Amino acid sequence: MASRSITSSASGHIGCIALSHALPKVFKGEENTEIIQRSGVWLKDLKFERGHRYLVSAESGTGKSSMCAFIYGTRTDYEGAIRFDNQDIRGYAARDWCSLRRRNIAYLPQDMRLFPELTVLENLQIKNRLTRTYTDARLMELLDMLGIADKASELGAHLSVGQMQRVAIIRALCQPMDFLLLDEPVSHLDQRNNRVVADVIDAVARQNGAAVIATSVGNHLSLDFDMTISL
Amino acid sequence: MNPEENKHRNMVWCLLRRNISTGQLAGYAVATFVGLAILSVALQFYRDVISLWHDEDKLFGENYIVVSKKVSGFGGLFGSNSSAFSADEISDIARQPWSRKVGAFTAADFNVNASASLGGGRLSTSLFLETIPDEFFDITPREWDYDPQRGGIVPIIIPKDYLALYNFGYAASHGMPQLSESMIGMLPLKLSLSGNGDEATVDARIVGFSSRLNTIAVPEAFLEEANRRFGSKPETAQSPSRLIVKVSDKADPAIRSYLSDKGYEQGGDVSQSGQLTFFLRLTTSVVVAIGVVITLLSFFILVLSIYLLLQKNRRKIHDLMLLGYFPEDISKAYVRMVTVINAGVVCLSAAVVFIAQMLWTSQLELMQASPSSLWLTFTAMVGIMAVLTILSMVIIRRRVCATFRLS
Repeated sequence: MASRSITSSASGHIGCIALSHALPKVFKGEENTEIIQRSGVWLKDLKFERGHRYLVSAESGTGKSSMCAFIYGTRTDYEGAIRFDNQDIRGYAARDWCSLRRRNIAYLPQDMRLFPELTVLENLQIKNRLTRTYTDARLMELLDMLGIADKASELGAHLSVGQMQRVAIIRALCQPMDFLLLDEPVSHLDQRNNRVVADVIDAVARQNGAAVIATSVGNHLSLDFDMTISL
Repeated sequence: MNPEENKHRNMVWCLLRRNISTGQLAGYAVATFVGLAILSVALQFYRDVISLWHDEDKLFGENYIVVSKKVSGFGGLFGSNSSAFSADEISDIARQPWSRKVGAFTAADFNVNASASLGGGRLSTSLFLETIPDEFFDITPREWDYDPQRGGIVPIIIPKDYLALYNFGYAASHGMPQLSESMIGMLPLKLSLSGNGDEATVDARIVGFSSRLNTIAVPEAFLEEANRRFGSKPETAQSPSRLIVKVSDKADPAIRSYLSDKGYEQGGDVSQSGQLTFFLRLTTSVVVAIGVVITLLSFFILVLSIYLLLQKNRRKIHDLMLLGYFPEDISKAYVRMVTVINAGVVCLSAAVVFIAQMLWTSQLELMQASPSSLWLTFTAMVGIMAVLTILSMVIIRRRVCATFRLS
């Protein structure tokens, strides 16, 4: 299983994520409703290409977290197909997904998923030591840039939601990537922190040649998006 | 492993060890230890005690029986030879499907007196000698060769019971030293043979002990020569009262029914040892079964604990895989925990078997039996626990993989 190639290019990169007539099963029977008809994602052919910036703007309850979960492999309750470079992702085993999550796709879940029993630095290290992307000093620099260096030794459980969001963003960046999936990355951040976070994300995405796919219900990430898709 | 990796592992373990119930794991460890200790002590005891009966195989193979006729009525008192086998009876036994080879016991037809010097004193007793064809000895002791032309020391095989009778009966009650088989073998004996108006003295030595041959046996060549010289009725040898029969399988029920139909008896302690072996086997099987049941039940405790633990930690396990941790990275931590516990259980159980064997070894040695090697029992213990550990690994791995998607 480990030897199977799950990326099509020789470099090991994923160049394109394509959604083909995808629809969450929960929306089955609602194909002709206005929400689905207007959607730029569901039941459409949509491609996300490496190197571009995408904003998926949606109202609450239209399935943006579902879309991220489908692309990240944590859920499979959809119809239609999702392909990475023409490979249907339904065929991937758990181990394939774990490899992709180390090398190709970075993800910031809406609920952050920090470990409350670990400190802020440990929450970063637990990902970074898997990918060996940054030194501890660089992690401290990133924390400093996002204004939470003083929280490095605090337990995750003791952080505010805004602080958690910034820690989770840094953790998502601790890996090589072709696509950076951000599910409402700045929903709990003010404008100043929004800009700082966007700058850091932009720099890391450029460095990796990665695409950024950010969802939002209103408070958009301050990034120059190539395309805005209405979900 | 460098400190960095160690810290990393500790960080992951710090998350995964949450909700581990020390009580449940301790319960599993104790129950498995009890089960495995019972099982392996029973196994080792069986192997050690069974050697008491198997020691006789040093001289004879497994599948020999000694057959004699029941002595009944007063015929024997008046010299009637009703207990002797006729030629027809011998050939009938030889024709039986279970019979491979039949040999006759040849008895000495002269007076024999044996004497030995022991501790400054002189012991003397009348003896009765017999022989069976040499081919019935699976292993011919080197000293069993006797050439009537050259003479020399006459080798003798005596029943093992005689030694036991001396060691546990006579020596114990008279404050005499207990003797081992090798010590007896070094004792020089003198046999005074007389009859037919002639007499002679020959040197003899005990070269082996048998619990199969319930007689004092000498080489066939020696007895034939002595019967010719000192015997009064050379025809006695032609009507043997006991036969040794090589059989295909001595546990064959056809043998027992044939002997019973004909009114024959199976001699020596073969049938007795067969029964004892059966009861020992039965008892051991029951005890081993109890051990197996306890071990299996304890394994179920472990499986339930693993299910409960992984269920409680499913969110953390899922989140680690969300970060890119492989299922085997996660299951490895739990497998290591189970392996350490199982290894500890094996070591403790091995210590119990070792100590238990020490307790019964001295008793076995008095009965001239040597304890068996512990390696087979140790291998069985390691094998059982290896199987349980592998099963645990499979279960853990499956449960962790099942946590990959929570919904």
